[in-house]
Amino acid sequence: MQPLLIVENLEKRYEGARRLGAKNKAPALRGVSFSISPQSTFALVGESGSGKSTLAYCIAGLERATSGNIKLDGNEITELDPKRLRVLRPQIQLVFQDPARSLNPRFSAVETVSEPLLVQGRMGKQEREDRARAVLSQVGIPQEKIPLRAEEFSGGQRQRLAIARALVLEPKLLILDEALSALDCSVQAQIANLLLELQSSLGLTYLFITHDLAMAGHLADEIAVMESGKIVEMGAAEKVLREPEQETTRRLIAATPRLDIAAGQPQGL
Amino acid sequence: MRYFLRRLIQAAFLLTGVSILTFLFSTLAPGNYFDEMRLNPQISPETVAALRAQYQLDQPLPLRYGRWVNSVLHGEMGFSFAYNSPVRPLLWTRARNTLLLTLSATLIAWALALPLGVLSAATRGRLPDRSLSWATAAALVIPDLVFALALLILAVRSGWFPTGGIVSVGFESLSPIQKFLDLASHMALPVLALVFSALPALLRHVRAAVREVLDAPFLRAAASHGIPRRILLYRYALRAAANPLISLFGFSIGALLSGSLLVEVVMSWPGLGPLLLESILARDLYVVIGGVLFSTIFLVAGNFLADIFIYWADPRIRTGKAAR
Amino acid sequence: MIRYRGWKQWLLVLAVLHGTIAAAGFLAPYDPTEQDREHPYLPPMKLHLVDSQGHFHFRPFFYALHPRDGSLDQFEESSGQVQPLGFLVSGRPYRLLGLVPSRLHLFGAQTSKIYLLGSDAYGRDQLSRILYGGQISLLAGLLGAGLTLCFGVLIGATAGYYGGWRDGLLMRLAELFVALPWLYLLLALRAFLPLSVRPVQAFFLIVLVIGAVGWARPARLVRGVVLSAKERDFVRAARGFGATDGYLLRRHILPETSSVILTQAAILVPQFVLAEMTLSFLGLGVPEPTPSWGSLLASLEQYSVLVSYWWMYLPALAIVPFFLGYLGLASALQQEISVEKIEGKTGGDVW
Repeated sequence: MQPLLIVENLEKRYEGARRLGAKNKAPALRGVSFSISPQSTFALVGESGSGKSTLAYCIAGLERATSGNIKLDGNEITELDPKRLRVLRPQIQLVFQDPARSLNPRFSAVETVSEPLLVQGRMGKQEREDRARAVLSQVGIPQEKIPLRAEEFSGGQRQRLAIARALVLEPKLLILDEALSALDCSVQAQIANLLLELQSSLGLTYLFITHDLAMAGHLADEIAVMESGKIVEMGAAEKVLREPEQETTRRLIAATPRLDIAAGQPQGL
Repeated sequence: MRYFLRRLIQAAFLLTGVSILTFLFSTLAPGNYFDEMRLNPQISPETVAALRAQYQLDQPLPLRYGRWVNSVLHGEMGFSFAYNSPVRPLLWTRARNTLLLTLSATLIAWALALPLGVLSAATRGRLPDRSLSWATAAALVIPDLVFALALLILAVRSGWFPTGGIVSVGFESLSPIQKFLDLASHMALPVLALVFSALPALLRHVRAAVREVLDAPFLRAAASHGIPRRILLYRYALRAAANPLISLFGFSIGALLSGSLLVEVVMSWPGLGPLLLESILARDLYVVIGGVLFSTIFLVAGNFLADIFIYWADPRIRTGKAAR
Repeated sequence: MIRYRGWKQWLLVLAVLHGTIAAAGFLAPYDPTEQDREHPYLPPMKLHLVDSQGHFHFRPFFYALHPRDGSLDQFEESSGQVQPLGFLVSGRPYRLLGLVPSRLHLFGAQTSKIYLLGSDAYGRDQLSRILYGGQISLLAGLLGAGLTLCFGVLIGATAGYYGGWRDGLLMRLAELFVALPWLYLLLALRAFLPLSVRPVQAFFLIVLVIGAVGWARPARLVRGVVLSAKERDFVRAARGFGATDGYLLRRHILPETSSVILTQAAILVPQFVLAEMTLSFLGLGVPEPTPSWGSLLASLEQYSVLVSYWWMYLPALAIVPFFLGYLGLASALQQEISVEKIEGKTGGDVW
């Protein structure tokens, strides 16, 4: 089967001190290459500053890579002009880490979820609302909560809203950038299960970015470990967790105590 | 050193820019000094034309500007049509009077704002702070114009203070002590008006700056070492809060210039303010430009002074690692 | 002191104050330009309830005036001539808010004129002049503030959103404007434009001049908000589904500036009313005979007025309650905003 996403030799350098914490001299991404099969979950693991989010933004089109290729379904999407980008963008959607910041608190649930449709200019008002409601029920938001503003939802529910918003354009690839990290443990489990359900019912492909190896082990088919902008280890999830080759990987495993209990066959979180 | 050089160059640019703009404005403005004369049937058009030629008003713009710059570099600043005298001595006396007023007011205002602000910050929420906050708010509610006029009425009706001018008639014949008292009594009301306009905002800023510093860990550490309160407040807290306050000083000069213009006009203090107003209305070109130039020099000098203070007070700037 | 009252109460206070001025036509007994050369510089007249014979009158009344013996311009009450004050009387026609014609005045007198706050050099009623003058001064301040805020938002949003050379240029310009003395700028702009224009033109000219001077501070504040707002994740997300700059600014970024704009409005309006007063006081405002609070004070420049006619100072006090109201509003708004931030309601970073 042809991979859904192919990343080849991606490099990203920042000029000047544009972002806090970005290394001025060293590039944020160096020679990153991997591919994701359709309807699978690919996890990208690493510590803060390893370049995970930068990679996510480049794939999602929010940043421009300095060099390298990104191909979606065989189509080159690295160097697209805004017009073509607008057409292809809906196929890759992003769910951010902190729903308190990734949703405009003044927007209602419906407004939040239907915003992508509004921006894309595809449907009329009633159509947008109907579609939004449909997706909202898919992610488990009860009907009566729909007119509420985003700030009135709890953390877990907000993340459901964020997921709903990402799904409304019927994307093929969903990038989850630390999407569970800001949630309470019990809520994490709920959302993780929701994601798994949605994957099977909608045929989604996930790029799951996290620093939490246990989570990666629970959800992913393949894991890639990143450090200082490079992929240092990559392979099937169980193999990486049970037989890590790199020091970085070993360190990450050691820092995740739950993995000992869940080694090989993780129980429900 | 390079820092100061850069500021000097910026200042030079500003002065040049302002002088060009003012020149442009004044000459492009409708009407000039001789329009009034032209309306007077007793003065023949030829006389007006001759006068204009004499003052070189019919020369092209850049030429006149060039001539003016040349004369400035030679220490002259053009000629006043209204006063029929060279501009420089006219401006000089007036500028001196304005400086006297504004410097006194600034000194007094800061001399009051610093201790009161520190007191307010140190006694946060308690009586001294609350009463000062009330007083500040009450003062902010009364605009400068209103206050200045009220002072004027007070002066007139009580007779305690003179109502205009810088010295009384017969000043020359007074003894030094009497001269000083006479000057002081003339200055009292304008200075009071200026201090009133500047003090509330100043006090608030000092209080805010010191409060921020008082919450800082390094100060609590110093306190735990047993350093007495007064020293803590003045030598430690105030020093740390100095940076924003010195910048404030630089900014407040512009406001002070505006304030002094109004106060001088209201209280008939013979400073730059009334002169500027008159000459703008009369389109007395060279006086306007000279006056604006002087004021710009004040502005620049004040900011420069502030820069020097910051340089001296904040070691971070000296080592080039200034936190902005 | 301003802590326990919310901004709504202050808004109410301001509404009442502005309403009073807006209803100048109804509240003022006379036309502000109506002269009475025979009664210049009258002191404020007193209202009485009990007359010189000890009789109580239900209707407040005042005494007509006659010249004091041996004087041409000093007047005193004629205790014989009782002039009752009528309420809701019909008087000179006017247009309420410039639209609705009416003749109804709150109070008035039949035969003599009542000068509750005295008269000026031309015998014009000061109370009427203060009420009508307020319309000019307040309107100039409000419009000027509106104009400045428009400039400020435009410039601040451009600088903050697009950054780069635009930001650098605009912010240097703003630095310059903030440092320059506002009164100098105001005088320069006003005085170098034609001096003698018709009242309506003069009014709009003044609004323009006032509005052009004060944009720098609001622009910087708006720029700050825009800078931080454009980095927010929900803006990134919207860009992620293809939103244009215009959409982002309109739907996400500019709404974030609303609290800054409102607070600035509360701070700027009184300052701009004061600016109009200052211009008029110096003779550069709306020309005679249209009254404005500033021009009403211009007569105080004369020594004789200062000494003898204290009521000519009263227009200066008219602005004080407005300053109080706006200051209270600004304070309350700022408190509201900092409370919102702490509660995390603005959706920004919680610190």
